[in-house]
Amino acid sequence: MENFTNSVILPVNLPEIDSRDFNPLNRKYLIILAIRIVVLFLISAGGLAAFLILSDEKPPLWIILSVVAFIFLLIATSALLTFLGFPKKGYLVREKDVSFQRGLITHRVTSVPLNRIQHVEVSQGVLAKILGLSTVNIYTAGGNSSDLSIPGLPVDEAKRVKAFLSGKISDYE
Amino acid sequence: MNKPDLTKPTRQSTRGLLLIFLFSAQKFIRVFWPALLVLVFQNKWIQNQMVVIIILVVFLGLLIVHTILYYLNFFFYIEGNEFVLKTGYLRKQTLTVPIERIQSVNTKQNIIQQLLDVISLEIDTAGTAGKELKIHALDKYYADELQKQLRAVKSKSPIEEDPDPGAGAVEEEKEELLLQLTPADLLKIGISQNHIRAALVILAFGMQLFQQIQDLFEEQANQYSSRLVEFLSQSNWALVSFLAIFFLVIAIFFSLLRTVIKYFDFKLLKKEHSYRIEAGLLNKRNVIVPHYKVQQLNWETGPLKRIFGIYHLVFKQAVSGQNRRQQQQLVDAPGCLATHLERLKTDLFGEDILSGLPKIRTNSYYFRRLWIFYGWLPFIAAVPFLYEQWLFWMGSVVWVMGAAGYSYLMLKKRYFKVNNHQIRISKGAVSQRWQQMELFKIQSVEFRQSFFQKRKSLASLRLMNASGSVSIPFIDEKIAKQLYDYLLYHTEISEERWM
Repeated sequence: MENFTNSVILPVNLPEIDSRDFNPLNRKYLIILAIRIVVLFLISAGGLAAFLILSDEKPPLWIILSVVAFIFLLIATSALLTFLGFPKKGYLVREKDVSFQRGLITHRVTSVPLNRIQHVEVSQGVLAKILGLSTVNIYTAGGNSSDLSIPGLPVDEAKRVKAFLSGKISDYE
Repeated sequence: MNKPDLTKPTRQSTRGLLLIFLFSAQKFIRVFWPALLVLVFQNKWIQNQMVVIIILVVFLGLLIVHTILYYLNFFFYIEGNEFVLKTGYLRKQTLTVPIERIQSVNTKQNIIQQLLDVISLEIDTAGTAGKELKIHALDKYYADELQKQLRAVKSKSPIEEDPDPGAGAVEEEKEELLLQLTPADLLKIGISQNHIRAALVILAFGMQLFQQIQDLFEEQANQYSSRLVEFLSQSNWALVSFLAIFFLVIAIFFSLLRTVIKYFDFKLLKKEHSYRIEAGLLNKRNVIVPHYKVQQLNWETGPLKRIFGIYHLVFKQAVSGQNRRQQQQLVDAPGCLATHLERLKTDLFGEDILSGLPKIRTNSYYFRRLWIFYGWLPFIAAVPFLYEQWLFWMGSVVWVMGAAGYSYLMLKKRYFKVNNHQIRISKGAVSQRWQQMELFKIQSVEFRQSFFQKRKSLASLRLMNASGSVSIPFIDEKIAKQLYDYLLYHTEISEERWM
């Protein structure tokens, strides 16, 4: 019995998850992301301007300039990451699980087995409503660390995904 | 003692009025403490005593009215197969729970409740998030009767999908005492806590307090603090080490105090398919943990704990409702011996197969990332501000080298073991922590690969369950992918009840 081992025996032909199979998000979602960056820029630039106008003592010029440079750097990187990272975003609904992938620098894939979903919801923000987009929110039990949300789907596609998932959930109950 | 009629709508104990009052006051203060702080520290306002008195009177009056209305409109009873709770006077609310869906009935008793001889009862239901049933001031005999009744109804209920048949009437009869902590044990546990962390917390708290006081009495404080700085700069190493020891002693004292308060008269009892934990000095608690609800078992030991041979064990449960953190803290056993640990592991996971399996270690690039993160980044961030001081450069060398040692320890302790059904993860730096879970408890899996990891064909995994998550950083990309697919497959074919 000296050489007894019991390592993991993987069943053969286990279905593999392949990032190429994922469905891309709707291009219009990029508009929402771009608007978010613009808002971020406006808030930080506005904050700086308000501070400069309202404060009695002006800080030295080099500090102001470095803050301005920092804001521009921040906006430029987030814009770059958003635009280049967009094609990396995608979702995949399989027979028994649903997955979402994202991330340019750090690629991340999250999968939730359908028999662990508690409920599914479709939500829509103001901007998304104008563009005809929806987000599918998938909730699991316990905490929110394992919840999944798929943004940037056309309304009817989101409804289809929700209907499919809801049907599957009731099968498992 | 006459038996209470549970089907009759009942109010809380009249002694509970005081409790409700205190609870509401506490809630109010918690919401408005920034405003109150302003009120207290703005000297202008304090000077006008009339205003303060009026505010206090209005506040007290509102609280008393609220307390009475709350009390009068709070009812609970059993109706048929359901437990009903009615609350609220402005916004009326009725909560009903089918009795067979009640998972556990826990009781707690804080110091005020002990004095008033009432207990608080929490009813945990299956899954339904946000539906929390809590009764804060229940007469003890009523609570006992209710608990008994709920269990009795549950065991009689025809729906036997509950894999926990022992939770019914049987559990009254046999309950095995697994672990009981004596005052001597508590002493050991208290001593073996992480004192450095406690000392830092106390130090930070003290500094904050000091700063607040300084803000408040600026002039006097300036005098004192300049004197203090003078004193410190003139004093020698002996004083510094004296201060360090002083803080450590205080930290040990606080750890001991905390341990005694939290774990006084700790008992871990086992029924057929659940555990019951009883403990507390000021806050007596009584928690039932059904086996199937345990999502993950964590156990930990440190350098001091190792000397005493004890482990700190935590049952991580799926918790419905909002106060997750609060409830999760409750279900732990601080001073287990190795034998207790083995026993509990066998109860929850069956025969221990994992221990014999090879360790799958985290790749040594993990060390590099940790070192950069803990050592170099803080150092580089501090350079522009402190580069003129030679003491900074001395300290930096110590810091960066210390971070290297720490990261090395973290790498050494990072490994996992897996078989077809369970996974065990080891981590830590000075102390060592293990996390073990059944694979079918997984709720979602995350695969993570940074640009840097991709070049070295490494990846990280994170496995989420209903109580939180465990992570496996920097392992071979191929293993990570295989494991990912296997975990999904395993969970998807599983039909066991996972929470």
